[in-house]
Amino acid sequence: MLSKIMGVFARPDFPLLLREHVVLSAVALLIAVAVALPVALLVRNTPLGATIAINVGNIGRAVPSLAILALALPFLGIGFASALVALTALAIPPILINASIGLREVRQDIIDAARGMGLSGGQILTRIQLPIAAPVIFAGIRTSAVQTVASATLATFIGAGGLGDLIVEGLQRRGPRYCSQGPSPSRSLRSSRSSASAGSRGPSPRRGCRSRRREEVVN
Amino acid sequence: MIEFRHVSKTYAGSDRPVVNDLSFEVLDGEICVLVGPSGCGKTTSMRMVNRLIEITEGEILIDGEPNTSMSGTQLRRKIGYAIQQIGLFPHRTIADNIGTVPNLLGWEKGRIRERVNDLLDLVGLSPDEYRDRYPAELSGGQQQRVGVARALAADPPIMLMDEPFGAVDPITRERLQDEFLHIQEDIKKTIVFVTHDIDEAIKMGDKIAILKQGGVLAQYDTPQTILSRPNSEFVSSFVGGDRLLKRLSLTRVSELDLGPANGGTDGLPRISDGLTVRDALSELMGSGQSKAVVEKDGEKKLLTFQDIEALTSSGAMGGGKRSA
Amino acid sequence: MSDLALLQDVIGEPKLIDWNWLKDNFWEYIVPAFQGHIFLSSISIAIALVIALPVGILCARYRKAYPPVTVVTGILYSIPSLALFAILVAAGVNVGPTPVIIALVAYSLLILIRNTVAGIDAVPPETIDAARGMGLTSRQILFRVELPLALPIIVAGIRIATVTIIGIATIGAYIHGGGLGQLIFDGINRQFPTMIIAGAVLATALAIFADVVLLGLERYLRPWARARRA
Repeated sequence: MLSKIMGVFARPDFPLLLREHVVLSAVALLIAVAVALPVALLVRNTPLGATIAINVGNIGRAVPSLAILALALPFLGIGFASALVALTALAIPPILINASIGLREVRQDIIDAARGMGLSGGQILTRIQLPIAAPVIFAGIRTSAVQTVASATLATFIGAGGLGDLIVEGLQRRGPRYCSQGPSPSRSLRSSRSSASAGSRGPSPRRGCRSRRREEVVN
Repeated sequence: MIEFRHVSKTYAGSDRPVVNDLSFEVLDGEICVLVGPSGCGKTTSMRMVNRLIEITEGEILIDGEPNTSMSGTQLRRKIGYAIQQIGLFPHRTIADNIGTVPNLLGWEKGRIRERVNDLLDLVGLSPDEYRDRYPAELSGGQQQRVGVARALAADPPIMLMDEPFGAVDPITRERLQDEFLHIQEDIKKTIVFVTHDIDEAIKMGDKIAILKQGGVLAQYDTPQTILSRPNSEFVSSFVGGDRLLKRLSLTRVSELDLGPANGGTDGLPRISDGLTVRDALSELMGSGQSKAVVEKDGEKKLLTFQDIEALTSSGAMGGGKRSA
Repeated sequence: MSDLALLQDVIGEPKLIDWNWLKDNFWEYIVPAFQGHIFLSSISIAIALVIALPVGILCARYRKAYPPVTVVTGILYSIPSLALFAILVAAGVNVGPTPVIIALVAYSLLILIRNTVAGIDAVPPETIDAARGMGLTSRQILFRVELPLALPIIVAGIRIATVTIIGIATIGAYIHGGGLGQLIFDGINRQFPTMIIAGAVLATALAIFADVVLLGLERYLRPWARARRA
């Protein structure tokens, strides 16, 4: 058992899958921070704006991750870009919610005192609001990061690779009885992409691809 | 009657007692105020009466029976309990809050309802208006009234009150104190009352127990005696340099034996006979005159500095604070 | 350019939504998947509650138990769902609803236990002191004071857990757990966007619906806070 598991790390494609997973998660998280934080900062002094941001975030958080990934497929096609858009959309809500709440919860009397001492709006933001809200904001980023890394395993279903490929392959080796899809969707979708660019359509040549891959790996 | 007999409390893991060999009696119908600086064990002493804190050594007798003769919960249902933070149940209406103990004791609904209405009237809140409200809808002063009403709900002969008027502004506190003393004239509960405020202790107490650090009883006596004959440096500094003035606040002008005002009262200040002598003194000095006119039972009397001086030198001061 | 070809290839046909397919398959395909999803989610949350409430109450009482419970449930919570399904199947649990329900319960525990403890912790200490001082027993304090006051926060936990569970349950279809995920996976397999969209939209709608309903319940359970605002 243990040697089999170690064997996975020794596979030639393991570094590739790991890199795909890390790049996908990291880029999605970075974009999400770059989108969510400015929005939270924009609405920080308008209670209505903050409420809207928090509610939008809450609804966004309710959307199933597989649903977002799957929805990206018909509109954006298979592969990295599609998964990136979906994961970014998933990563935004926790950051947006926490940043908005964190900035909103800074006590008004502290801000009043700062204003009374003559701090400008920008100074209040950088010296008062951000430092006080920082723990809550970072908690949001952390939640989002954990969730993004976990959801990135689902990228396999829309052909964006990542470590999900390994999980799906493992399930499939136990036989078709064990999972919904025949072959590893990521690999098959990739191969169908190459066939698409070659102009061929029709039934996808998944089987062949799969069996080739199987021979590559010594059990 | 509540009797403390050599009561000590030492918390586990500490070798210094927080209450040390405390002995005194609270007579039926009296308010005994435990007062002292923070850390003197006054709240701990009070909480040992209803066994929210268990005694380490000694015993507390209630009407001659040790308070350990029944379970803690049974004991507590027979003792009213009001605290500074009030601790109203935020999820229950005012009526439900007041009805808590009667409910636990299994009173029938109609009786509880009537009792709640009576108590709301007693503490000056209109039942129709307040019964079905939630605590958060009431002001601090109203919540403290409800806290007192809740403590009185099952008509317990004994009440424990830990700074029950502590969470409101001074003016409201003054009014709540006066109202409670007025209520106490009728209900005659045996009360252990905790405060850190010596003025409140003097105002509320039939007896005052002054505790010092480490839970040692410094002096236990009537307010008058404590003010006129503090038994130690600690007590006299705790009651403060103005203890003479405090003594004056124990007596009202109406209780003084004043001479009649003959003739020339024009231009003299008028002083109401409901004032305490302390306030009267203040007004007299503020007026710049040496005497003032007091109207008593339609008769005009004369109040002079001599009358006040005579009072401070005599031992017979006070005793009238219940006629507020 | 090749994007279009790519899209075409995956989709199989140009139409995103095939209304006839939806009509034809509504009763025998879509409705059972929807029901299956509700079944999976509700049974999981019910089992999770049965475990989490007593554990949460115990953790609130015996503080030492709380950190280890948090660590264990926290680790469970951070395992990617697809990986947890695979682990369960590898550990010998037969594919189907069972491993999905086990995983969904595992995911809810952290949220439910944490909110139960937080709810009980949020009860003001003076309220407990007053309750004890009036002679309520520990049991009465738990059931009449602590739990009613903690209930809105517990329901908030149920809400978050339910939304999470509805989302993760879609992935369970991959190991034959049933539910709306079946539509999504079948759609990917057959390169048929109508199914993907139907599954994704219904799962999203169900999650948001549950979120809103439970949020309403949370508010309803806090009449004393409503009154404060009034």
